[in-house]
Amino acid sequence: MYRGREGQWAFYLHRISGLGILVFLILHILNIGSAMWGPEVSNRLMKFYHQPVFQLGLLLLVAGVIYHGLNGLRIILMDFTRFGVRYQRQLWYGVWGLFVLLYAPFVIKILGGILAH
Amino acid sequence: MAIKSRRFEEARLEASSNLELFWWVFMRVSGVVLVFLLLGHMWMNAILTDLNTIDYDYVAKRLSQTTWKLYDWLILALGLLHGANGLRYVLDDWVRDPAKRFWTKVVAYGLIGFLFVYGSLSLFNHDFGVR
Repeated sequence: MYRGREGQWAFYLHRISGLGILVFLILHILNIGSAMWGPEVSNRLMKFYHQPVFQLGLLLLVAGVIYHGLNGLRIILMDFTRFGVRYQRQLWYGVWGLFVLLYAPFVIKILGGILAH
Repeated sequence: MAIKSRRFEEARLEASSNLELFWWVFMRVSGVVLVFLLLGHMWMNAILTDLNTIDYDYVAKRLSQTTWKLYDWLILALGLLHGANGLRYVLDDWVRDPAKRFWTKVVAYGLIGFLFVYGSLSLFNHDFGVR
């Protein structure tokens, strides 16, 4: 399908980010669902996840979600348009352009929060 | 077998079954919906809210409203299905031994099923006690 270069990177990153998001989703559901055991249990668990190391992980997760989502839209363009496959490399750079735009607010807010803590 | 084609017409020809073609289409449709649901979800909880202040009361207040219950449940259901099918593609590629692949899938689908029930219960069957 792809022979090296950008397309191959796009594919690997899509898989890795997808698996990473799935692992997070599991932890996230268990964490939020703990509300069923009442405020004490829930708050203790959430406090645990408020440690800076998890905030850094969250920053990585947000990057993964934004990349996976935008690259997914690129895949859809490749599937359903005439030009998609021909311009897949240019589209990939477009993904990174949009990525920087969408990711910047999260970096400022979350990294700012970690540093202020 | 997972579909490797890059065009819908080709995917339709390559699909080993109608179910496989359904999953191929589902990944695209759910993907588009999830991009917007998750951008909204992350923007609300990480940009508009200070992450470090999120606690039981914040979650309870949000989940006492039906709109947010449905919003979050849509993410839960679509996210788990999209993730489960993506994991299936990965396992089909990476786990070559049929017996190992079968049991890995049993464990993975079991976990996904449990999370769906658990998440749905906390969304719809738990009284957060906020009016």
